Amino acid sequence: MTDLALKTLLHDRLRFAITVAGVAFAVMLVFVQVGLFLGLMDNASVIISHVDADLWVTSKNTPNIDFPHPFSDGLVQRVRSVPGVARADNLIMSYYNVTLPNGAQESTEIYALEDHQRWNVPWRVLEGDLGDLRRGSYMFLDQSAAKRMGAFRVGDYREVNNARIEIIGRTADALSFATTPVGFMDFDLAQRIGGTLLAGQTNYMLVKLAPGADVERVRAEIQRRLPYNDVHTGPEWAAQSRKYWIVSTGLGLNAGLTVFLGCLVGLVVVAQTLYTATMDHLKEFGTVKAIGGGNRDIYLILAKQASIAAVVGFVAGVLPSFALRPAMASAGLKLIIPFPLVVLVFVGTIVLCLGASMVSFRKVAGIDPALVFRT
Amino acid sequence: MTVLSAESVAKTFTEGRDPVHVLRGVTLTLDRGEIVTLEGPSGSGKTTLLSILGCILTASAGRVAVDGVPVDSARPELLPGIRRKSIGFVFQQFNLFPALTALENVEYALNIKGVKGAAARREAAAVLEAVGLTERKDFLPRDLSGGQKQRVAVARALAGHPPILLADEPTANLDSQVGMQILETFRNLAKRENRALLIVTHDPKVRAIADRVLTIRDGQLITDAAA
Repeated sequence: MTDLALKTLLHDRLRFAITVAGVAFAVMLVFVQVGLFLGLMDNASVIISHVDADLWVTSKNTPNIDFPHPFSDGLVQRVRSVPGVARADNLIMSYYNVTLPNGAQESTEIYALEDHQRWNVPWRVLEGDLGDLRRGSYMFLDQSAAKRMGAFRVGDYREVNNARIEIIGRTADALSFATTPVGFMDFDLAQRIGGTLLAGQTNYMLVKLAPGADVERVRAEIQRRLPYNDVHTGPEWAAQSRKYWIVSTGLGLNAGLTVFLGCLVGLVVVAQTLYTATMDHLKEFGTVKAIGGGNRDIYLILAKQASIAAVVGFVAGVLPSFALRPAMASAGLKLIIPFPLVVLVFVGTIVLCLGASMVSFRKVAGIDPALVFRT
Repeated sequence: MTVLSAESVAKTFTEGRDPVHVLRGVTLTLDRGEIVTLEGPSGSGKTTLLSILGCILTASAGRVAVDGVPVDSARPELLPGIRRKSIGFVFQQFNLFPALTALENVEYALNIKGVKGAAARREAAAVLEAVGLTERKDFLPRDLSGGQKQRVAVARALAGHPPILLADEPTANLDSQVGMQILETFRNLAKRENRALLIVTHDPKVRAIADRVLTIRDGQLITDAAA
């Protein structure tokens, strides 16, 4: 079968290149914007996602993991006695001032537990032994902190809230939404140097259920015993923390608007180039009709051309998007492009290009085949 | 045997609010194996008549039958099917697809007529050989001369064995020698396969290949005589 659609499309290579570039630009814009958005959202809940806890106890109406409010650390005893609870521990997440060698201070998110390994926090240790944290004035720092704090090594000392703390380990992938450096230390040490605000206090409680325990029943019982706290499952708490940033910062609206504009640009470019191509080839479409072709034959030509532009443009857009990831990572940005997003954007690209070709369809449907007789 | 007939065909267009009567009661027949020219000045209705006989336009009044099938003006959606099955066109401007080679141009017309794959390629090659273009079959139209383009157009019209061939000023863009050579080829191929050929022309030399000459003026056939 002679492929008039493909051959005509490739016959005018410049126009084809412009169409493909328009689609590729839109595809790349969508991938980069959505990928960055997902990367930020991942940062917003990365700690929650990795903590091996079934339930999180927070103070009442805490909106987000980054904005904790303290409550009595003694409440953990009430939780430990709830049937179905295998273990429960206090978790401090608070901001500490770290004094840098040059005298500057840098606020740092410190996660403090009695036993970090038990809760899988941090989950990627590059250097050091987490078990050593409880043995003295020590901390682990995530390697991403170097961006804000400058280079550091295991064995270096830093002043944290005026206490001299030794860095005894490095971690990776522990990031915060606001790019604040992240560190880990022992719960007692964190309480001690946290000042009066944290004396006898905690910010969160982590709860691990016994095998076979019913999450909702345990949650209800904890809630009954701690009426002035909130109890969330891990996924709920992660979703609430992400939603806070999406809604309160307008980030979701911004990302959605950019994706919409990207799609609009792609749609307009494809519609415009396909339409002008159709106008230029109107007599050829008339000839198709004159030699016996119907509107269906012409629709198929246009649909095929739109689909080819969509597929080639998608490939030309998706490859540089993936290629950008290392460069983004070196700039401290996470570009997450999950497979379902790739499939969604591919289908969306095809649908948008076919939609764009509808403008041409309408024009061609009204072609008078008698135009083949005009000179 | 009549393959194309028109009886009292009229065509009226509307320009603004005024009706323009382009054809007024045209009656004609075309038999198998017959070569007929349709002559007339510009604006006489030649091309409109050709469009109606070729099932591209429908008549405002009158009856048309193509290869024994009455053309129903009320159902224009049936016209492409009649064109596919029964009619081959040759246009003044050749109207070849610029992105397709000579062979592909003919093959595509066969694809439209339902002939696909190797069978279409074989038949396309055969008709191109019949018009003397085998050596140029893989050339794009831009690399062919005017005469060669018109030979491809003739091959495309012949492909699929339609019983009726309609040509609109086929020599208008060619020098007279080349034009006559192509018409001779066209005539011989049409005669050989017993097809009816109607040629719309301004060129009186075309009469040389015709069996019959029709003359139209102001939308009416004024002569119908042997050449």
